[in-house]
Order: sequence, then structure tokens, then C-alpha cells
Amino acid sequence: MSEAPRIFVVDDDEAVGDSLQLLLQSAGFPRIVVYASAREFLAEAQPSPGECLLLDVRMPDMDGLELQEELNRRGFKLPVIIMTGHGDVPIAVRAMKAGASDFLEKAFSDELLLDCVRRARAHAAETLRERDEANEIKRRIETLTPRERDVLRGMIAGRPNKLIAHELGISPRTVEIHRARVMDKMEARSLSALVRMALAAGIDAS
Amino acid sequence: MMRRPSGGPARTMAVAHKGKEKKAKAEGGTRALADTERALRLSEAQLRSVVETVPDAIIVIDERGLIQSFSPAAERLFGFRETQVLGRNVNMLMPSPYREQHDGYLERYLRTGERRIIGIGRVVVGQRADGSTFPMELAVGEIRHEGRKLFTGFVRDITERQTTRERLHELQAELLRASRLSSMGQMASALAHELNQPLTAVINYVQACRRLLAAGGTPSERLQETMDKAVSQASRAGQIIHRMRQFIQKSETERQVESINTLIEEASALALVGAKESGILVRLELSPDLPPVLVDRIQIQQVVLNLVRNSVEALAGASRRELTIRTYEANGHMVEVAVADTGPGLDEAVAKQLFQPFITTKLKGMGLGLSISRSIIDAHGGRLWAVPGAASGVSFQFTLPRAEGPG
Repeated sequence: MSEAPRIFVVDDDEAVGDSLQLLLQSAGFPRIVVYASAREFLAEAQPSPGECLLLDVRMPDMDGLELQEELNRRGFKLPVIIMTGHGDVPIAVRAMKAGASDFLEKAFSDELLLDCVRRARAHAAETLRERDEANEIKRRIETLTPRERDVLRGMIAGRPNKLIAHELGISPRTVEIHRARVMDKMEARSLSALVRMALAAGIDAS
Repeated sequence: MMRRPSGGPARTMAVAHKGKEKKAKAEGGTRALADTERALRLSEAQLRSVVETVPDAIIVIDERGLIQSFSPAAERLFGFRETQVLGRNVNMLMPSPYREQHDGYLERYLRTGERRIIGIGRVVVGQRADGSTFPMELAVGEIRHEGRKLFTGFVRDITERQTTRERLHELQAELLRASRLSSMGQMASALAHELNQPLTAVINYVQACRRLLAAGGTPSERLQETMDKAVSQASRAGQIIHRMRQFIQKSETERQVESINTLIEEASALALVGAKESGILVRLELSPDLPPVLVDRIQIQQVVLNLVRNSVEALAGASRRELTIRTYEANGHMVEVAVADTGPGLDEAVAKQLFQPFITTKLKGMGLGLSISRSIIDAHGGRLWAVPGAASGVSFQFTLPRAEGPG
């Protein structure tokens, strides 16, 4: 995917959608996709990691909150910016609790909008980077032998070589060799780096 | 009706005296009279038991306002014994400023027959023996007896019992409804939401244009097209306002000819619940000869309630706590109402935005009260504004056009 990540806009008001598209494009975001309803978005958007969504809270059919819940259920982790009218603040609070990354009260200034979008994009990029990192670490773990993985678990649990050796029924010298291979294959420069990687990849000591 | 009928037996005796002259009819006559008397006594006993058990307090006054009868429920409600109040002016049961006005009302009714309360019923303020005040529902009936007039008042304390407390809430809710349910309140919120959409679009289009202009290289047709879109969204906002205005004009159907003083008294009786307890001196200066107005009663009462409530809140921290509600004739066939307090007044910044929706100085306010009040008064063809008080505080004033034609 060399193309720029998209920003989705879901608003049932055609003029609001159209004007947002124009404004975001004029501010240097080339790929804006506008949908008039939550259902259209769900059917067609196929959001990828790193993308974000500007969502109007009050819409007929399926409202912004319902769409947010549906996205959560489908496991899409894209940042959602909720747009509300005056007096919708309690709804906005609910949306934030359901995981929205920000909310904007209509009518907003362009600076406020762009700040929100930039933050959401940065957030999306960060999750994307974390996900890539986690994938890379998982790939490295795949290259370990079963015995090396046993040693890895002992290492991130902070056990000394002798104890690991005793538990696995091998000599401390062999543990040392496995240990060096683990550090090498995982491209970890220190034990703390190795522990951080294990955490990022969701591996625990047990 | 409520008086102890010491005259009853006398009448029977007079007829019995006549009976002596014609002995033949006397026996049958006496029996008939005895039956009548028994029936009278029975109905009197029934009446008495009703008076003594009915939960409403019943007070009978004569033409001068002097108390002729005071039921047990009235004793409980006001904290006076009947013996303490018989022959005294009924205005002792009212707080100022009603106390001073009652004789005038009574005198005016006897002279002109103009009904303010009789046969209608309304919510007023009562005062107990210990000086505390309470809102009460008052219905008054009129009895003509041997050329004299008696007035029977049925009083229900609408703070006393749980069920009647609900009635008070109902009345208050009815008046406050405008901020949520009435066309005005709904409109304000719908207006805010509906206007937001085109305004958001206008801002977006214009700012997109600015950015494109600053960056350069965008063909001018593209910029013009975007400006056209902004213009069409701005006029969409204008159309929404136009539609709302038509909507206000349509809602004139519920207007009726009303006495402004009656409206004010009812609304302020509700709004002033508890005002005396918080040490506020209330003056009602209602000009007696005002022409009637053609208004939606609930809406105008909502305005009054809102203004009086605001004043009561403003007086909470003030050293001098006076609230004056006045009605008087104004130029150009208008009736004017002023709600003035001696509170801290308005600073300039607040005064400027006073009538704008969603701007409030209150912690829990929506900032809709005054803007809705102004829409209501505007829709009635009047004007609502605020002026600094004579010494301190602020005076909110509004005008209403008098109803056309006779009546």
C-alpha cells in the first residue's frame, strides 16, 4: 500500500460531507471518501490500519454511536472523531467512553478540525507501527526452536541460567548457548529489549 | 350557608303562631312543620358534617371581608382557632402585598361586578398564624342571602400533602414546559441543530477557499464553484430561520383575551414559593384599570415565571432583597410589565449577551430562558428588554399589545 491512507467522512448532510472533503483536501489530505450513511460505510469502506473516520453522531437509520459499536464488534481499530451539534455533549461523552478518539462540536473552525484529524492520523500511524512491530517480533519468534522458546520464557521471567537449566533438565552451559542464539535471532541487544519485545508481541513468561 | 342558623326556629315559631288562628288546620300544619324542621335539621347536620370532614378549608366572609365562618380544616391549615378569626378581616390570612389589596378587590367587585376570582378559582399565596406562607388553590362561591352577599372560599394547601405537592409540580411543570415541550423550546433546540449543518458547511467551504488561494495554482472556476456552494448553504440557513418565523406566526391560535394582572398574580404566586422564607420583600403593584390582552396564557406566564425566578436567584446574595412586579399602561396601546429586583445587577459583558441562546451565568442553566422569553414576547407583538434598576439591580420589562375591540 503505497497510497496515502484514507480519511472517511460519514454525514447524512450532503453539504457537510462535500465541504469537509474539500476542506481536508485543501489542507493536504488527498484521499477523502464521503458516505451518506453508516450502512454505506460498513458495506463499502473496508478500512485499513492507519486510516481514520470523521463521524456525525445524529443520523437516521444507524447513528454514529451504533456504527462505533459495530466497528468495535468487527474489530476495526480505526480512530473515530465524533461530530456533534449543540447540546449533544452527553452523547459525545458516551462516544468517548466507547473509544472515540476525539469529538468536535459543529460548527467548528478548520484549525480545530485539522488538529483532530492530525491527532487521529498520528494515533492511527502509531497503532499501525506497533502492529507492524508486533508482527515482526512474532516473525522472529517463529524462527526459534521449541527449546529456544522454553529458554526465552525463562529469560523474560527473570530466572537465572541455573534455574532454567534445572527446570528444563539441561546443563547451564547448554542454556547459555541457547540464550545467545535467542538474543541473536530476536535481534535483541539487551535482556530489557528482549522483555519489551515479548510484551509487544503478547508473550508472557508462563 | 355556613352560618349557625339561629334564625331557623324563629321562622317555624312565626308560622306556628299563625296556626293558632285556624285550629282545624293546626294539627296537620304542625306535623308538616315538624317534618320540615326535622328535614332542615337533618340537612344542616349533613352539611355540618361535610364542612367538618372535607379536607379543603372552608372560609365564609361577608361583603366587607369579615370572617363569618372558619372550618376545622381551615383551623388546621392556618393555625388559628375559629374564635380568633371570627369577625376579623380575611386579609389577615394573606401575606403582603395581597393583604393590602384584598379590600380593594372586594370593593371593586361589589361596585362593578368584575370577577377576579369568584366562580373561577386560582392559585394564590396564604399566610399561616406563624407567618409562614404557602401556595394554595382557592375557589370562591357567592351566596345571596336576604339582600346580603356572602363569599365561601374553598382552600387547598398545595404544598401540604404529597398528592397536592404533585399538583404544585404539575403547575410549575406546565409553566416551565416551554423550555422543553412547547413549540418555542422545541424550536430553539431544533433551530440550533438545523442551523449548525449549513453553518458548518459554509465555514468549511470558505476556509477551503482560503487555503486553496493561499497555496495558489487552483483554477478560479474551482474557487468560484466553492464560493457558490458556500453562498447556497448560507441561504439555506436563512430559509430555516424564515420557516421557523412562519411557524411562530402560525401558533397564534391558542391566544385568548386575558387579564394581565390575573396572569401575573398566578405566575408570581408559583414563582414566589419560598421567597418570603428567603427574606425577600415582594411588592405587587398592579394597575387596576388595565385593558385586557390577547395572549397565550401559558406562554406569558412562563415568561413571568422565568423573570421572577431569575430575580429571586439574583437576590440570593444581596443585602437589600426587594422584588417589585408592576403592571401599567404604556404608549401605543400597549400594556407593560416590569419585574425589578435590588440584586447585584448585570455587568456589561453579561448585559450584551443577555438574550442570546445558550449563554448563561448559571451553573445549571441552559441559557435558554431569556432567549425563549424574548421569542415569546416578540411573537405576541411586544418587546422584552432590561434596564438597570433605579438604585441597584435590574428591571426586566416587557410590553404586550392590548386586545382589540370591546372585551
